Amino acid sequence: MTTLHFRDIYKHYARRPILAGLELCLRTGSCTLLTGANGAGKTTLLRILGGFEKPETFQADTGCEHLNWRRYRKLLQGSVLYLHQQPYMFEGSVRDNLSFALDRSLPKAEREQRIQTALQWAGLDKIADTRAKTLSGGEYQRVALARAWLRKPRILLLDEPTANMDREARNRTISLLRQLRDEGMALLIASHDPDCFSSLVNEHLNLDAGRLQTVTPAPMFVNMSLLQQAS
Amino acid sequence: MDALLDASLQALRLLFSGDRALWEIVGISFRVSLLALLIATPPAVLLAFALAYGNFPGRRLTIAVFSTLLSVPTVVIGLTLYLIFSRQGPLGEWRLLFTQSAMIVGQIALAFPMLVSIGHSALQAADRRGWETARTLGASPLRALLTIVYEVRFGLLAAVLASFGRIISEVGASMMLGGNILHHTRNIPTAIALETSKGEFAQGIALGIVLLVLAATLNILLHHFQGRGFVGS
Repeated sequence: MTTLHFRDIYKHYARRPILAGLELCLRTGSCTLLTGANGAGKTTLLRILGGFEKPETFQADTGCEHLNWRRYRKLLQGSVLYLHQQPYMFEGSVRDNLSFALDRSLPKAEREQRIQTALQWAGLDKIADTRAKTLSGGEYQRVALARAWLRKPRILLLDEPTANMDREARNRTISLLRQLRDEGMALLIASHDPDCFSSLVNEHLNLDAGRLQTVTPAPMFVNMSLLQQAS
Repeated sequence: MDALLDASLQALRLLFSGDRALWEIVGISFRVSLLALLIATPPAVLLAFALAYGNFPGRRLTIAVFSTLLSVPTVVIGLTLYLIFSRQGPLGEWRLLFTQSAMIVGQIALAFPMLVSIGHSALQAADRRGWETARTLGASPLRALLTIVYEVRFGLLAAVLASFGRIISEVGASMMLGGNILHHTRNIPTAIALETSKGEFAQGIALGIVLLVLAATLNILLHHFQGRGFVGS
């Protein structure tokens, strides 16, 4: 199991420390849930790991290479994917949006074949030619996950991926996330709703006062999931 | 009243009979203004993008300078460039004064701040998640930029149309830099000014009609594209 170890992440806003030298380990094929109160810094942490916010200090370790912020940002292109709470859809159809995630150097036939597979994987084949900006919240999330599936990053960062979704859309999203995890991606999910992901996560961390605390070890989640199913 | 009616009828006759002198003036106007826009638009969009998405020292000052340049009278820009291109000026050697090239430079100077300011507003209003999504999906900075430009294409098109409307109808810079020379640098606004001063209203009215039709067309297009941009956002 490959591990990406982040250390010494500091970030403050207006002299208030949001992240106070926190440490985090992401493993391939595992899912980490990140909880915390509003304003605790969950989104900030995800955005730092996604390369969109510069921390004051930062270190990452791949096991064979030590990375500073600059080097990490260079390397993360294509290997770390950040999904916004409300994913952004580009102008054009669902198919066009999936096409964006593919390498442009791929032959056209292969691109189309991969897009078709992704459409089926995410259950989007019936709306493949619909204008992406007109989709519902749940469909937005599925298009975003299909893009991630095509892109195959090592780390997938998700900010409240099931917020404002009905039960059915939530279950579909979680099912897709499980497949991504089982394919070997490391998932880091920021959420206010730990119960929603209880059947998926391997580690639950809580962000409080700029530091991460382990809330529940992995076996507990399995038990909780079984208990929920039984009830 | 009869004189005005006569002049107007004569103007319509000039327009619809395909009067060569009149349509030559229209052609010069369009050639100069379209070339100026073609040259000014790409760097203006790049600068607008840098101002909207970049974070560098002097960014706010640059935005303020371009907003201020929007309100500089065209004759002031004409005068400044006249002094630069005149024999004693720093670029006098280039012998650009009273040529279409000088008019193009003048119109670029007029269009550029407008393109930057309106383009910056359009890009600033665009959803930042577009840029971040493009980058996180592995797009190079250039591809991400082109994607964002496509996303806000209606706003940018509005900037281009508004700038075209401004430069094709301005008289100050064209008169000073072009010199209003027949067959060479006489464009619609300078011809209207000249014909009116001579008391020859027919050609002035005919050219005025061309400008009015152009203004109406541009405004209709502008509203159409702005509406589409709003719906699409």
